[in-house]
Amino acid sequence: MTLRVLVLEDDREIRSLMQSSLTAEGFAVQTAVSVSEAKALLQHTTPDVVVLDLGLPDGDGIELVHAVRKRYSLPILVVSARHQESQKIQLLDAGADDYLTKPFSVGELLARIRVALRHRGTALDAAVKVHVLDDLHVDLTRHLVQCRGETLHLTPTEFKLLARLVRSAGRVVTHRQLLSDVWGAEFTEHTHYLRLYMAQLRAKIEADPAEPRHLLTETGIGYRLAVV
Amino acid sequence: MVYVLAVVIASYTLSWKESVACAIGSVTAFNFFFVPPRLTFQVDSQEHLIALFTMLLVALVISHLAADLRRETEAARLNAQRAGQLQMLATDLASASTPEEIAALGRAALDSAFDGPCVLALCEPQAEQGFSADLPDSLRNAMQCCVNEAAVLGPGTGRWPGLDAWYLPLGSKGQMSGAVCVQSANSGDHSGREHAQALCSLLGQALWRVRLTSTVLAAQQEAQRQQMQSTFLAAISHDLRTPLAAVVGAASSLQTQRDKLSSSEQERLLVSIVSEATYLSTLTENTLQLVRLTSASQVLNRDWESMEEIVGAVLARVRQRDTKRRIKSRVPEHLPLIQADPVLLAQLIGNLLDNALKYSTDAIDLSVSANAHELLVNVKDRGPGIPHEQVHTLFEPFSHTDRTGQRGAGLGLAVCKAIALAHGGSLTFRHRQGGGSTFTLTLPVDAQQPEKEQV
Repeated sequence: MTLRVLVLEDDREIRSLMQSSLTAEGFAVQTAVSVSEAKALLQHTTPDVVVLDLGLPDGDGIELVHAVRKRYSLPILVVSARHQESQKIQLLDAGADDYLTKPFSVGELLARIRVALRHRGTALDAAVKVHVLDDLHVDLTRHLVQCRGETLHLTPTEFKLLARLVRSAGRVVTHRQLLSDVWGAEFTEHTHYLRLYMAQLRAKIEADPAEPRHLLTETGIGYRLAVV
Repeated sequence: MVYVLAVVIASYTLSWKESVACAIGSVTAFNFFFVPPRLTFQVDSQEHLIALFTMLLVALVISHLAADLRRETEAARLNAQRAGQLQMLATDLASASTPEEIAALGRAALDSAFDGPCVLALCEPQAEQGFSADLPDSLRNAMQCCVNEAAVLGPGTGRWPGLDAWYLPLGSKGQMSGAVCVQSANSGDHSGREHAQALCSLLGQALWRVRLTSTVLAAQQEAQRQQMQSTFLAAISHDLRTPLAAVVGAASSLQTQRDKLSSSEQERLLVSIVSEATYLSTLTENTLQLVRLTSASQVLNRDWESMEEIVGAVLARVRQRDTKRRIKSRVPEHLPLIQADPVLLAQLIGNLLDNALKYSTDAIDLSVSANAHELLVNVKDRGPGIPHEQVHTLFEPFSHTDRTGQRGAGLGLAVCKAIALAHGGSLTFRHRQGGGSTFTLTLPVDAQQPEKEQV
């Protein structure tokens, strides 16, 4: 089955570059230059992935994220220049799945699309209950975390934090999402909780907490549980 | 004698009319009670009549003299008070640095010196632009006229004596900063007007001083900005042209001669395009970052950050180029959290590590340590180090410390330094014992660390 990608990018060069390299990889590519055009396209077709550039001429990518999220659970990748952190976070909070920073290589784009598709696929089948990578084994139903063959004892908060990351394994989870899901909506500004609990979790899980293998930091954005 | 004492006290403490009334009253009472025939207003003998008139005359003269004395004492007290106020205002004005502060001090001084409502308004030095339209028309016109004539208007000044208020200019001709209106002015009150003029002259000088200072500062900043811009342009035009030429050359060669080129040559051209374009992209990024960091409006996205995490994220990126794992990191547990912009700090540490990888071939030490006030990040390499004559320009943009022939616009370290400074920290270079370089980033640590929630 051919996977369909909707590319929303206002720059002609980058749009045609993405189109040709994604087509070469076997995707069926549709392109749009504005939010309104993308919305019109979404009326007729349902893509498998949306790649969305920040800073479109007719306004807010966030509007499109909301429009897509209302009807589909397909993955949305945000492409942005550096220094657009706050907008990027807004889109991730609104339900975008991942982001790429310009300038990016075609290889990077393809890898992100593959990860997004794979995990969206499993997320659709059933909520992720088990996460295994290298020496880390997490089973959410059995409340079990094993590392290097040993069972770890996590505090309730540590477990909730890890579980939240496991449910979005491979995808970036913003500070705000983590704080609101683990501590509650009124704690979304308490980033220091995350710093402190993340340090505790890493001390228990990581072989070298200063150079984590599993609990990756997305500087200024959030965290990501490694899947590869 | 008792009578004279009473008259003196009365005339010193009461007003002139009251004291005259008091003198007449007391002579009449003396007549009534003590001059025969007693308990009548009649006076029998001529001697008594003369004595009574003499007493009245003495009383009137004394009361007049005493009233004069009192007036002078009061004038002296008022003068002393005004001199004190002038001195205090001068002291306060010395530390004021904006026209608004000076205006506030001026209003306070005028209000305490005069009873009537006082208005102080600032204007632009070009008198035509005038005063704010918020003022009532009559007030604005009078102030404008006062500024245009650079003279005091109002009662007792010979200019516009029909007004009921004094209008005083702030500043001298050609250096006008505003005007003051003192209500309910009295044409005879010379010392009051002089005091108002003295206050206004102090305020005018202070306003002009502040205006000059800000003009000089603006001129300096503008000169600095232009200097920076021309340095930037000169450096960028050189640094952008070379890689651009390489990209265009390689790409056009692939476009026109692809069939004639062997696949390895094609590959070489492609690699060159990618690496030159990447270099251009880094250069652009650094230039923009530097402009942003040195502009006054730069606002950091600060949050509570963990240096352990920042270093971890940087290493995850840098390790892609450090396949032999030359970077040895030592990051202790339980480092204090810092209020910082993590993206910028990651860029700083990443730049230092990239440089170390580029300019050296041995192991690179990355270590973090902390004390009660500071967090220190050290990056040490065993590279060729920095020549002594280049150390002092090392952190300046486009200083072209062309180490070992490697290309670099010398922007990276300037950006690093700007990031450290923006965080209230510092970035320093030392020659490393036994050869190589040590870069130390020092960041301030808040004594007030955030607390974990109570669960």
